[in-house]
Amino acid sequence: MDQERMVPEAQDQAGSTTTATLPPGREANGRPLLEMQGIRKAFPGVQALDGAELTLKAGEILALVGENGAGKSTLIKVLTGLYQPEAGEILIEGMEVRFPTPRDAMKHGIAHMPQERNLIPYFSVGENIMLESLPRGRFGLVDYDRIHREARGWLDMLEVQVESRASVDDLSIAQRQLVEIARAISREGRILVLDEPTASLTPHETETLFGVLRRLRDQGVGIIFVSHKLEEVFALCDNIVVLRDGKNAGNKTAIAEIDRDGVVTRMVGRAPVTQELPERTEGRGGPILELQHVNTSSGGRDISLTLHQGEIVGLYGLVGAGRTELARAIIGIDKVTGGQVLVKGKKATIRSVKSALARHRIGYVSENRKEEGLIQMLPLVSNVSITIWRKLQNLVGWISSRLERKTVQPFVERLEIKAPSLNTVVASLSGGNQQKVSLAKWLAAGVDVLIIDEPTVGIDVRTKANLHELIWELVQRGLGILLISSDMPEIVRLADRILVMRRGEIKGEIANDHDYEKTSELIMGFIH
Amino acid sequence: MRRPNFITIWDRAGLAVVVLSSWAVFAIFAEGFTSKFNVFSVGRLVSILIVVGLAQTVVMGIGDINLSVGAVGGVVAMFFGWLVAPTQLGTAGLASGAPQDVTALPGLGINWQFAFILALLFGAALGFINGWLIVRSGLHGFIVTLGTMGVFSGSMYIITKVKAFRNLPEGFLGFGKMKFFDLLSPLVFIMLGVVVFLFFFLRSTTPGRQMLASGANRRAALASGINVNRIVISTHMLSAALAGLAGIMLAARIGSAIPTIGTGGGGDWLLPSFAASAIGGTLFTGGSVNVVGTMFGGLLLGTVENGLNLLRVPGFWVQMITGLVLLLAVILDRIRVVAVERSRMGAAQ
Ligand SMILES: Nc1ncnc2c1ncn2[C@@H]1O[C@H](COP(=O)(O)OP(=O)(O)OP(=O)(O)O)[C@@H](O)[C@H]1O
Ligand SMILES: [Mg+2]
Repeated sequence: MDQERMVPEAQDQAGSTTTATLPPGREANGRPLLEMQGIRKAFPGVQALDGAELTLKAGEILALVGENGAGKSTLIKVLTGLYQPEAGEILIEGMEVRFPTPRDAMKHGIAHMPQERNLIPYFSVGENIMLESLPRGRFGLVDYDRIHREARGWLDMLEVQVESRASVDDLSIAQRQLVEIARAISREGRILVLDEPTASLTPHETETLFGVLRRLRDQGVGIIFVSHKLEEVFALCDNIVVLRDGKNAGNKTAIAEIDRDGVVTRMVGRAPVTQELPERTEGRGGPILELQHVNTSSGGRDISLTLHQGEIVGLYGLVGAGRTELARAIIGIDKVTGGQVLVKGKKATIRSVKSALARHRIGYVSENRKEEGLIQMLPLVSNVSITIWRKLQNLVGWISSRLERKTVQPFVERLEIKAPSLNTVVASLSGGNQQKVSLAKWLAAGVDVLIIDEPTVGIDVRTKANLHELIWELVQRGLGILLISSDMPEIVRLADRILVMRRGEIKGEIANDHDYEKTSELIMGFIH
Repeated sequence: MRRPNFITIWDRAGLAVVVLSSWAVFAIFAEGFTSKFNVFSVGRLVSILIVVGLAQTVVMGIGDINLSVGAVGGVVAMFFGWLVAPTQLGTAGLASGAPQDVTALPGLGINWQFAFILALLFGAALGFINGWLIVRSGLHGFIVTLGTMGVFSGSMYIITKVKAFRNLPEGFLGFGKMKFFDLLSPLVFIMLGVVVFLFFFLRSTTPGRQMLASGANRRAALASGINVNRIVISTHMLSAALAGLAGIMLAARIGSAIPTIGTGGGGDWLLPSFAASAIGGTLFTGGSVNVVGTMFGGLLLGTVENGLNLLRVPGFWVQMITGLVLLLAVILDRIRVVAVERSRMGAAQ
């Protein structure tokens, strides 16, 4: 692209549209900006796409939704040149195109934010954003000042408060996600594809992003937006396309002409049943995990909380409130520097996940499944059984793979993990299914206390309901669950009590009566 | 059962085909290649090479590197020699009336089977030092073992004054010369035992799997309750014990324990240890090892070396060709991986 970069510094605070030259969104010869027709793509054991199609007009925000494993990301990877389809065609403004490599797709003005984090470690935020088009200065050397100046502009646009010179390794999950969004937007494509961009953003960050996206749309950019959060789809998008098992479920529909149930029906293939969680018959038991005035090495201050057997305590807060850090300190990854931790009434010093698991039967489902939750190159079965290898081994230390599979299978079924086989490497599973695997491994471990960090990020609506039921069932069976979630409806639905955290401190406690309006207001009161 | 997919079969079969064709080539061109004596001596040579390769393979499994395989091999062989050599530097084994060998050292005269076990434990202890330093310093194994490599062999040279243990017990010498079916050395069976053990150890035991898990993703392994530090230390202990085993095997082959075993006399072990592992398909990035592959890798290297020797190719040529075989193998492997990846992703162009 040879036009002048849109330097977003030029933008004023009111957020008026920039005057920069984005590629014209006019449709040549009356054809849509993008058409994908009859796309087929198979992987060993799965037909990921089976004749999927999609059209996108300039100045349109199109929602692409579907259950985990429906083929959304695959369709996007075909569009962005990462995968080659076995059949089907892609047309841009009516002209057939082929993208043998991602670079070719970029040349046609397609910018992409992938679902899985894809930043280059050790590089700075600015370098990561500008990677595809590092500005050159004198002697052809990379002009770092300009990199960081321009990157700053994109970061400001999304209101991201991180230094452009900071290393991406020091960023939180949400910040990394924002950096990737900035990277996609900075390419100024005429087609912008965002695969679950909001999965770990706060409501406020999401709103800012939507503002930016609407502005881009008004400038004629065609946007494909993938999300499992249907509220967002309804708030942002103009039209919607639903995929089910690699095929289109229904035609493209204007968002005004369909409701939530209609979308879910298309996704699932049958009318949704609103599942009310059943009454829990078992009352709560004695305390199993108590923190008394705990300080942590990662900035938690004077934290006291009690979790009882058969109880779900919700830990709400904005991303960055220090909830994950607290969980990591409890589990022994970070350090507890002051105060006391009691497990089942006894004083406990937990120095490693190993002792948390083996000695105190506490498990932690990490929010960072790619780097910490799962071992991507190992098969599904090992990822689930990793916490129980020792239990599976016989007297001479031998782990029978038959026993292993027999032990893992029920969890795979219970969570409806979609995979060609138990030997499939986790890396090839769809994002949502990976999330389920990272939960399955702790269920298999058979712990008494489970700390679950953002369990339903990137999970489709039906599975989310399933997971909620499952969490409910676990508590009914006597586990104590500390649920960290930034999804307020989720917390209000599940938690018995809600603790609100802010900047490393617990700001308040709410006895939850599952009345969303009232409770959410109380929660917000503690946050601001 | 983990069913092998076509890639792994191709992997192993492909390498096996290469090994077989090299046999065929040498059988035709190198006179004496198929003689009983040569098969026996190649068997001994290759077995040692493979055990050295496996010493590297296991550390590569945790994404680490052990540069001290040769040094540990030499030190352990000398330790073993010291344990078993007679206390008096008699004239046993020397032509009667010959002057006493001034380059030989006296030892403790311990039973050699017992000494064998002690020496392996001593090797493991050296590995413990490697692992402990790595865990404590947080440095990569490359740096740490680069240092210990010098320390281990250097201090051994100082202590032994670069003399050898030549009067090894008859039983042990006999073991080195023993032949089954007039063809196979017991060293081959030791090697096969190690291969089988490691194969199942890594596949079907908790510590073996924890090693691979730590190599594939250290953070995730930690967060799954694996004591990664302990795994690093025990892997280095295993690696050093294997290197030590190879050292003793080499002592059995040459009939004495000389200080340059592993670092000079028997050829430097470093290159072949990486070559066998890499040719066999073990990844340098950790998490994925191929024990059987290392066996074939060692087989290939040993065969080529022996065949070239028989063809009277000078020694430094052999070294160069070994390097070339390594390069060729890894380049071919790279092409294969890319091809497989591409067919999976369907990037047909
Ligand atoms: N590289 C790959 N190798 C093998 N199978 C794959 C690969 N990528 C995707 N699949 C499979 O293709 C199917 C579609 O996956 P895809 O990632 O497109 O789903 P998705 O709709 O994006 O799901 P999610 O909402 O969970 O992100 C899944 O069954 C998945 O396991
Ligand atoms: Mg996806």
